[in-house]
Amino acid sequence: MIPPVQVSPLIKFTRYSALLVGMIYGKKRYDYLKPIAEEERRIEAEEKKKQEELQRIAKALAEGSPMV
Amino acid sequence: MAQAAQRLAQRIAARGPQLLSAAVAYSKPRLATFWYYAKVELAPPTPAEIPRAIDSMKAMVRSFQTGRLAQLTVREALRNGLVATEVVMWFYIGEIIGKGSLIGYNV
Repeated sequence: MIPPVQVSPLIKFTRYSALLVGMIYGKKRYDYLKPIAEEERRIEAEEKKKQEELQRIAKALAEGSPMV
Repeated sequence: MAQAAQRLAQRIAARGPQLLSAAVAYSKPRLATFWYYAKVELAPPTPAEIPRAIDSMKAMVRSFQTGRLAQLTVREALRNGLVATEVVMWFYIGEIIGKGSLIGYNV
């Protein structure tokens, strides 16, 4: 077999620093995006609840129920 | 239909170990070759190599300042570009590890 190439220390160093920086960046960005997405989901669920409530009332009115 | 499914299950049960051993036989020498090269070429820098890496980084900055960039051949420039691309790909691998999902941010 062809003997393995001795990779330059500079390339090795930049490779692994890029890996490390990427890991930190990914973690930071994830932690930044997570609460935003959670807030959005919460608002969406609230909105849906409101819509359902409105629909329920509209239906009840259409049926001429004396309840409302 | 049930019969066909049964036949299929039987065939998989019969052929399963055979396929598995074939997969092992296929990947074993290739993995050995991979490890032979990876152990040397993909190894992280040793502590002794880090100062040398920093030195060559300084040398690179100096050569940029002295206008070495304009004297590169197309072949050299292409090769350097490929190496830089590879290093950037390592960054993305790191990002994948950091965010904990392969595609997009699973928030």
